[in-house]
Amino acid sequence: MKDFNRAQKITAGILILVCFLLFARSWMPESPVGEVGFAAFSELPVQEGGRLKPIDTVARTSKLIISGRQRFIDEDGNRYGANEWFMRLLLDPGAAADDRVFRIDHPDVVGLLGEHNEERRFFSLRELSRHFDTIRGEFEQINPEPALRSSYENALANLQKAIVVYDNLAYNLVPPPLFGGPTETYSIIQRALRDAADMEEGSDSRRTVDNALRLFENQFQRLSGNLSLQPIPPGGPNGFDEWHNLGVSLQRSLQNGEIDPIVLAFGRLSKAYRQQDAGAADAELAILNRLYSERADAHQVRKVPFERSFNHLSPFIYSMFVYMLAFLVAALSWLFWGRSLALMALWIMAIGFAVHTFGMGARIYIQERPPVTNLYSSAIFVGWGAVLLCLFIEKRFLNGIAAAAASLLGFASLIVAHYLSYSGDTLEMMQAVLDSNFWLATHVPTVTIGYSAAFLAGFLGIVYILRDRLFGGLPKEMGRGIESMVYGVTCFALLFSFIGTVLGGIWADQSWGRFWGWDPKENGALMIVLWCALILHARWGKVVGPTGIMQMAITGNIITAWSWFGTNMLGVGLHSYGFMDSAFFWLMAFIVSQLLVISIGWVIPQRRRSLES
Amino acid sequence: MHLGLLSRFVLILAASGWIVSVVNLMHLAERSGWMIPVVDDLPSLLVSTLLVIIAGLTPVAVRMVIQSARPGEAQTPGKKRKPVSVGKALYNGLSSIQLTIMLLAGSVILVFFGTLDQVHYGIYHAQNKYFAHAFVVWEYPQQFIWGERLSWFHLTMPGGYLLGPLLVANLSVAHFRYFRPSWKKVGIPLIHGGIVLLLLGQLWTQVKQVDYFMWLGEGESSNFVEAFHYDEFVIIDKGDSERDRVYSWDVAALENANGVISHEELPFVIDVVWFAKNAAIFPRSAARTEYGTMPFDRGLGAERDYVVLAMPPTYAEGERNVTSAIIRLSGEEGRIGTWLVSNIFRQTLPLREFFPVQSFEYQGREYEVAIRFKRAYLPAELELIEFRHDRYPGTDIPHNFSSEMRIHNPETGTSRNTLIYMNHPLRFGGLTFYQASFADEDTKSMLQVVSNPARWVPYISSLIISLGLTLQFVISLFVHARRRKTS
Repeated sequence: MKDFNRAQKITAGILILVCFLLFARSWMPESPVGEVGFAAFSELPVQEGGRLKPIDTVARTSKLIISGRQRFIDEDGNRYGANEWFMRLLLDPGAAADDRVFRIDHPDVVGLLGEHNEERRFFSLRELSRHFDTIRGEFEQINPEPALRSSYENALANLQKAIVVYDNLAYNLVPPPLFGGPTETYSIIQRALRDAADMEEGSDSRRTVDNALRLFENQFQRLSGNLSLQPIPPGGPNGFDEWHNLGVSLQRSLQNGEIDPIVLAFGRLSKAYRQQDAGAADAELAILNRLYSERADAHQVRKVPFERSFNHLSPFIYSMFVYMLAFLVAALSWLFWGRSLALMALWIMAIGFAVHTFGMGARIYIQERPPVTNLYSSAIFVGWGAVLLCLFIEKRFLNGIAAAAASLLGFASLIVAHYLSYSGDTLEMMQAVLDSNFWLATHVPTVTIGYSAAFLAGFLGIVYILRDRLFGGLPKEMGRGIESMVYGVTCFALLFSFIGTVLGGIWADQSWGRFWGWDPKENGALMIVLWCALILHARWGKVVGPTGIMQMAITGNIITAWSWFGTNMLGVGLHSYGFMDSAFFWLMAFIVSQLLVISIGWVIPQRRRSLES
Repeated sequence: MHLGLLSRFVLILAASGWIVSVVNLMHLAERSGWMIPVVDDLPSLLVSTLLVIIAGLTPVAVRMVIQSARPGEAQTPGKKRKPVSVGKALYNGLSSIQLTIMLLAGSVILVFFGTLDQVHYGIYHAQNKYFAHAFVVWEYPQQFIWGERLSWFHLTMPGGYLLGPLLVANLSVAHFRYFRPSWKKVGIPLIHGGIVLLLLGQLWTQVKQVDYFMWLGEGESSNFVEAFHYDEFVIIDKGDSERDRVYSWDVAALENANGVISHEELPFVIDVVWFAKNAAIFPRSAARTEYGTMPFDRGLGAERDYVVLAMPPTYAEGERNVTSAIIRLSGEEGRIGTWLVSNIFRQTLPLREFFPVQSFEYQGREYEVAIRFKRAYLPAELELIEFRHDRYPGTDIPHNFSSEMRIHNPETGTSRNTLIYMNHPLRFGGLTFYQASFADEDTKSMLQVVSNPARWVPYISSLIISLGLTLQFVISLFVHARRRKTS
């Protein structure tokens, strides 16, 4: 920093300010606060998918599944957060049916709805509901084997899934309109229950009331089968000992004569919401908060507010932007202000890394699991590992190379993670066989760090070849630097992939009875190990020159991408034409891009600028 | 990358393709199965020895070709080409780092296609095809894009039984040729020695490991396990003592019996009338077309008027071939009868049809005859007390599967309880029992049972390799840091 001249100091200041502003942006409210305090609402705990989480998480993940994005934009172009839409869906399902949230990209499916407007991609439930029979009819005809479906069939299946998700969400807090709104329904039930208690057993009027109650019973029973949330904590007048859904709670109420106060409070909240009565809504939310803190096990729900803040902060999105910035600064350092800009890039990368680390730590805290539990978190971890490695390498060389490669890799892997998050809750529960924190904490991160290092070597190779062949040649010193970086990182990749694979073998031996089973994922890891060994032997035997080593490292990218994603597509994808789904397409695009860079190394001769300098 | 190296690699692929086709022409591969033109067992050993020689000579040959193509270089004065003896050339070739690189590249390719083919053949068969053979032919699958137009495309590559021995040879010979002891390289022999051990261990496992399973309902017990992939033909002498006498033959004995098998203690001989690795068995009444009379006159086949047809073997994951045979028993007094035996005539598997045991009487003794999943008997009786299937609250995501078992030891008359659950197998009598599956609304539990005498080898060898890698990595970091300091 001391060596910076005035202009450089100003630039550094501006860059840090940009980082700060990006950060501040995440703290800003997602959209103008409406009449009703939806922040308090989105912080209420619910049980879904086997764990307790804030309503906020459910709102975001289901909005992603239904719309492919978190934000909701209405017909007039006003932007809202996922929570505002979700609150409307849960508290005023009738009005929410007009929100255009269903995203349909396939023109034939749009045609199915009688629409010809190619511009429109979002549809409301009310628009869809007119064509439910058509959609269901078409859906029943699609290929039952997902791998064999055409893109039209896939689009239909996705639409059907979105409709089911939507359907299972709408009536989780208030029942469908039976007699007007929920408060009216509840008061009719309460009156019927009171009447029944007063009336004589066997009398005509008693029979009428009993019949009415039986009708309610049937409704609630049907309802309870279609709800994906369990928002009602244990205890209360119904004496449940676990979290349960609205249908179950109301069914029990019909038997013991008393409606759960939380259910009643949600009914009143819904009424206040529909009347846009902010005061009443806040009062009901306060009541709900009190009821939840009385009944929910404080230990179980202690992480719910934190998870909401974590969602709101979206640390990985932030890191993604910051890595992009770091990459640009590092690339500029090759044009002017060499070491100074490289130092700035290093600092920016460090800021991104700090937030990235915080995000991973937050996930570990919420889930009480080691960092990598599914494909999504592996993407986050791959970027993290690469940036961590490069913080050390860049500090040593300070030429912008490692910073560029790592921030590019960090950016790319976070993008991949972002798209993977569209499949649902990223903090899902672990399948039984994976339920072993010891192996999750040892085998998985080790293998994933191996992926990081293999990718890092490949990205360094890309920087080497592109700079050398397309952007004016590499200075000799820098070329040597990259060569030793790639060598060191490949050694590292070999070490970690091998140890990770061995740990995986031990785990497999413990749980399935074989150390090695030639399973696709195992084979993928083995291929990385073999390829790293090959690169190292080629270097030791001086069989190929520096460019060859770089090309081999880039080939390593292809192999690693195959191990990471390709093997996951095998089971479902490779059977058929259906495998041209988007993930497969991107994998192929990545492979082609890598082959392109490799062939640049062959086609364009090495520049000899190194001799001049 | 080095184009000369690439061309040599292609040459090796070509050579292996040539050998496979020759072997196929000589019908040596016929034993290996109906659809995979792969060299098997003994011939593969011969061929791999041959290939060792070829691979050893290839670098020399290529150099000679290159030199003869560029006569100017070859005849540089003062650099007269010394005649190279075959032994020397083999030694040089076998120890060369070029060979190492080719073998590693070959392994990557083999593993890749071995993974790809699992989609069509299932893991068990793909593993056998790719890693337990000297050569493999990959065929472009019909199901891939442009499958119809590209299905002619076949790729021959060296298989596991060729690459493995070559790697071991390469490592050992190179060690003698190049290695000079030094502290800086102390990790290298550890790594290489560990890899040799790992490969040998994998071979041992491949040859010796048997996978069994055991289905138990709650309250049931059993003293045997059944193999996943092997069948046996048995004659059981129910005898007069309490214990049965089981005469067992591997089904391969039926296939290769030349018609007759016998045992000196059995009062009859067994004629194999017909045998199929996979078959379809159905009642004649359910058949749409007319079928001729079947040769069996006793047992289930005759009683239920079954029709049996040979089918191509299946290799799909989780499917099992219906191994079947028609056998005729004849004693001193002439023919006893002809039976249809098949491994689907089972008494125990859940969610399957129940079949009675096929038994008959001869000379006052009761016998049973069957093809069944190969059994291994345990030194004790295992009883399933309770199976549990826990889910996360409000979902169907399984949280835990566990089987509470009781082990009855008949010799001591004692018994003890044990719990088998995810990641916590039971080790007993040289076998390891894993929780694997369940059925019938969580009342039946399947245990996978593995016998592998080599299971300790990968532990030791990977420990050695990891130690070597870590040492080498730390040493080079150290050297690197010192060089930085001095420079």
